Amino acid sequence: MERDPIERFEAVALPHLDAAYTLARYLMRDDAAAQDVVQEAFLRALKYFDRYRGGDARAWVLAIVRNTSHTWRKRQGGQAVEFDEHVHSGSVEEHTPEAALLRAADRAMVRQALDQLPLELREAVVLREIQGLSYKEIAAVAGIPIGTVMSRLSRARARLEQLLGALAGRE
Amino acid sequence: MRCADMEQRIGALADGELVEAEARDVAEHLRTCPTCRAAHERVLALRTALEQHAPPLAAPDRLRATIRARLPTAGIGSRRPVAWRWLAAAAALVAVIGGTWQVASTASAGRALADQVLASHVRSLMPGHLTDVVSTDQHTVKPWFNGRLDYSPAVSDFAGAGFPLIGGRLDYVGGRPVAALVYGRRQHMIDVLVWPTGSGPGAGPASLTRQGYHMLHWVGPQYTWWVVSDLATPELRQFAELLQRAEAATPP
Repeated sequence: MERDPIERFEAVALPHLDAAYTLARYLMRDDAAAQDVVQEAFLRALKYFDRYRGGDARAWVLAIVRNTSHTWRKRQGGQAVEFDEHVHSGSVEEHTPEAALLRAADRAMVRQALDQLPLELREAVVLREIQGLSYKEIAAVAGIPIGTVMSRLSRARARLEQLLGALAGRE
Repeated sequence: MRCADMEQRIGALADGELVEAEARDVAEHLRTCPTCRAAHERVLALRTALEQHAPPLAAPDRLRATIRARLPTAGIGSRRPVAWRWLAAAAALVAVIGGTWQVASTASAGRALADQVLASHVRSLMPGHLTDVVSTDQHTVKPWFNGRLDYSPAVSDFAGAGFPLIGGRLDYVGGRPVAALVYGRRQHMIDVLVWPTGSGPGAGPASLTRQGYHMLHWVGPQYTWWVVSDLATPELRQFAELLQRAEAATPP
């Protein structure tokens, strides 16, 4: 017997609500905006649920949350400029901090450093380090090739190290 | 390998995303290059900072309730196919482009390995299975592995930090015999499974909680580590840092 499609949707998508909220919260940098994004994303997900063919439900939900976040940021005029792989590439050999300095960073510093990352780099590092996704899963969520996942992660880490080093070194 | 080519590989090594041969090459380079070794250490330190201060979040109850309330009025089906079909196209693209070097298919392999590590730990907690060699002396435990394995793992005692060494045993994980080191923390047991980087599976999630046990996993320049215990994650993380620092301080 065919179950109620909304019940089926709830069974597939709702287990990933925490993951969805986590991604939106770090991407939007604001709790109210994150909640709005997650709400809209889940309604959109339901709308397209008839096209969901099984597979990794978490990646499916996160991809929709990710796209909704980007749409919102653009609507807010947050990131008016398209992310340019080229401009944001190139190793910035300023000052690389010691590992010990990074370990000494406190909560406020970590949050501030994360918030300062460009959206595309932030989402790579959030999906990998905070949400524990594999490169393959990140590629699916962000809609980019695995090679780009690797280069973005690498740049995100280098940038975070510098930001954190600067914040922690000031103490 | 040149240092210029290393940056992304160092990250991928720490993420357990390199295939065995590649992991071995990178680990080999780290052993001889202090600059790249420091970069690898920074990746692990950054991970620690993020785990401590930027955790995954729980969705507010109010949000969950609002979504559940709105779903029945939202409706399924649409005119414009976007998200998932587009994603499938992206996935196909990924399959074609596939990165500039080979990436291990980690998700399932890593989870299977985590299962084996957990099984090893649970088995070890059964009477008489915890240790093959009982000693709080690292100089007794380390040589015990000689002749029993094709490597001799680094063994440190962290009694000073409240994690005394209890002993060691042989175990079989990821299709090879491996060294298991046993540490204590109050009434808790901590199992450390360790093998040389690049000589066994390197994939796996950085941290995982399953059946009440917590697991941490990372790939160091010399060894690949799995730590498993029923100890709370912050304390286990503290213990993992001791291991990471000991490895960094040990000359290759």
